[in-house]
Amino acid sequence: MGRVLLFQGLVGLTEAMYLWLVAAGLSLIFGVLRVLNFAHGALYMIGAYLTYAVFRACGGNFWIALLVGPVLVALFGWVMEVFFLRRVYRADVAFQLLLTFAFVLILDDVVKLVFGPVYQSPPTPKSLSGAVMVFGSPLPTYHLFILAAGGLVALGLWLFLEKTRWGLLVRATAADREMARALGVRSSRLFTGVFMLGAWLAGLGGALSIPVRSISPGMGELIIIEAFVVVVLGGLGSLRGAFIGSLAIGLLHSYGIVFLPVFELALAYLVMAAVLVVRPWGLFGVREA
Amino acid sequence: MAASRRTTRRTFLKTSAAGLAALAAPRGFGATPDLKLKKPIKVGCQTILSGPLGGYGEFMRKGAVLAMEEINASGGVGGSPLELNFRDEELKVDVGVKNARYFVDDWGADFLIGIDSSAVALAVGEIMPTLNRILIVTHGATEKFNEDLVYRKHIKQCFRICVPVYQDGIASAFIAKDLPVKKWATISPDYEYGHTSWKMFRATLKRIKPEVQFVGESFAKFGTVDFSSHISKVMGAQPEAIFSTEWGGEAVTMVKQAKLFKVFDQTKAFMIAMGSAMDVLQGLGADYPEGVWASGRYYFGYPDSPQNKKFVETFRKRWQSYPSYVSETSYAALYAIKKAVEKAKTLDIDPVIAALEGLQVDRPAGPCTIRKEDHQAVYAVPWGRIKHDPNFPMPILGDLRVAPTDEYYRKPPFPPVEA
Repeated sequence: MGRVLLFQGLVGLTEAMYLWLVAAGLSLIFGVLRVLNFAHGALYMIGAYLTYAVFRACGGNFWIALLVGPVLVALFGWVMEVFFLRRVYRADVAFQLLLTFAFVLILDDVVKLVFGPVYQSPPTPKSLSGAVMVFGSPLPTYHLFILAAGGLVALGLWLFLEKTRWGLLVRATAADREMARALGVRSSRLFTGVFMLGAWLAGLGGALSIPVRSISPGMGELIIIEAFVVVVLGGLGSLRGAFIGSLAIGLLHSYGIVFLPVFELALAYLVMAAVLVVRPWGLFGVREA
Repeated sequence: MAASRRTTRRTFLKTSAAGLAALAAPRGFGATPDLKLKKPIKVGCQTILSGPLGGYGEFMRKGAVLAMEEINASGGVGGSPLELNFRDEELKVDVGVKNARYFVDDWGADFLIGIDSSAVALAVGEIMPTLNRILIVTHGATEKFNEDLVYRKHIKQCFRICVPVYQDGIASAFIAKDLPVKKWATISPDYEYGHTSWKMFRATLKRIKPEVQFVGESFAKFGTVDFSSHISKVMGAQPEAIFSTEWGGEAVTMVKQAKLFKVFDQTKAFMIAMGSAMDVLQGLGADYPEGVWASGRYYFGYPDSPQNKKFVETFRKRWQSYPSYVSETSYAALYAIKKAVEKAKTLDIDPVIAALEGLQVDRPAGPCTIRKEDHQAVYAVPWGRIKHDPNFPMPILGDLRVAPTDEYYRKPPFPPVEA
């Protein structure tokens, strides 16, 4: 029984990694740009579709597709930030919601027009379709790969934010936008950069999903709600919060399926509500003055 | 919403054009009598046209449009052309009811067809006496629709042309009894359809093979994107075989992930009730493990009859794809309407209902009879094993097996299912 439970936890952590990739970008964008990006799930979706398109174009090489696909999403993020989002930073939050939600609807229909409504699902790369015995059960190599990828992204983001000059500027802008600008931070370029990074992260999540999940229009809507739960739970704008929040929701989900199957759906929301009662700014969020 | 409106307008234009073309065309062989009915006869079809299951709706639309084009080209229904209108059901009860009301009150529909969700089918079925139109469900599979709504509550406006969950939960057990396994578990959807099918499967299999055991179950909520936790939970119970009623994109994801978790190496049998739907066959492609038992509400390779061959060929010519089961059921629904109206010689509801009751329809899926007691179309759909054949662009079914309809269609007075 103990081994079965440990295995279940490990599986939950792999699901958490997908959540983390999406929630990280969502939280980063909110922290710096102060925009709740409803289209983040749609970016995850086009990450999957673009990666799939590259996969087909380059004769089925998953690794090339994995490198190129998310970069294309980042470029799309550039278009989105420079031509659209930039115009609503000062507008009412309702306009930001309308704009980002419009992107959800448009992108859903665009992928349906381009790729058709049928499910797409390229085969899992041969090198990652095996399994290793962990706690007495076979754990897919691909899941280990996802765990590693999620961990590497977390490490990379931490190094970037803590050890680089750009990271310093990002943190300064997130902490106090006016002060950072007064001190000479060129916020428009920084905003574009952060949005592209967030889009790349969502795109990477989508790209990593294609060998093991079916790709379909509207797939972004299936993950965005949980990503929001993670971000709110961890604290809006906090990357550490997004990471811990993802792990918590992932584990809650996989253990909920075993112990509280009838209740599993509500579990994440209940935990979120409980945390918000005690800490309205989330686990690692900053209390608004 | 935006998506549904656009689809409606687009298909409206297309279908109107087809209707006009049919009016201009010379009248076929004179086989269709001119009954001087209103022109055109309007049929409102609602199905899922957006989101991750939007592919289903596309297949249903294609089947209905094909039937309309054929019918109109050969003289229409009693001399009147058919006109179709499509709306997105969104699998939501309130949307489904709103669509039905729109079709009848604003658009002037004479018949309603379609509906994918069981919950929507039940809700729309309940208001059919108020709307006083005939509804022919082409996908929603809950047995409550024919057993409760029609048989017990006598809502005679409701009909269903597709096989209900008897295919998923009962015919499956007749296949399962011959498999060399005793310990079963399920990964199925966490709503009416998934629970009912599993219950019927257990009840039937226990009755015909008492030594079986049911060792584990995991029900996945609608919109599950990752089945890993469900798979590891169920495999923890060490079943010898898995029964599943996951469908659409979720079935694709589940099979792919089960494959990674080596479920197909650790178990001796795997059954997916809706696994031969075209979207699943195409979505999994080469990844679909051979030997998986799958079924649907029609399979394009069965029966081996001239009608079926002709349907598959015309469908492929028209849409460059093999038909999915919802294509056949929507196609059959329109032909059932044609036959019933021409038999009743009127569009009045009661005579058409009387004509539909007991009606024999020679459809691609084979000859079927619409039962008088519960307005359920009775026809056999095979189960078969997934195999890869270089002559087809997607996996197909081999080793087709058909349970006798007399054994697997529940009959009045529909005793409760005890599992």
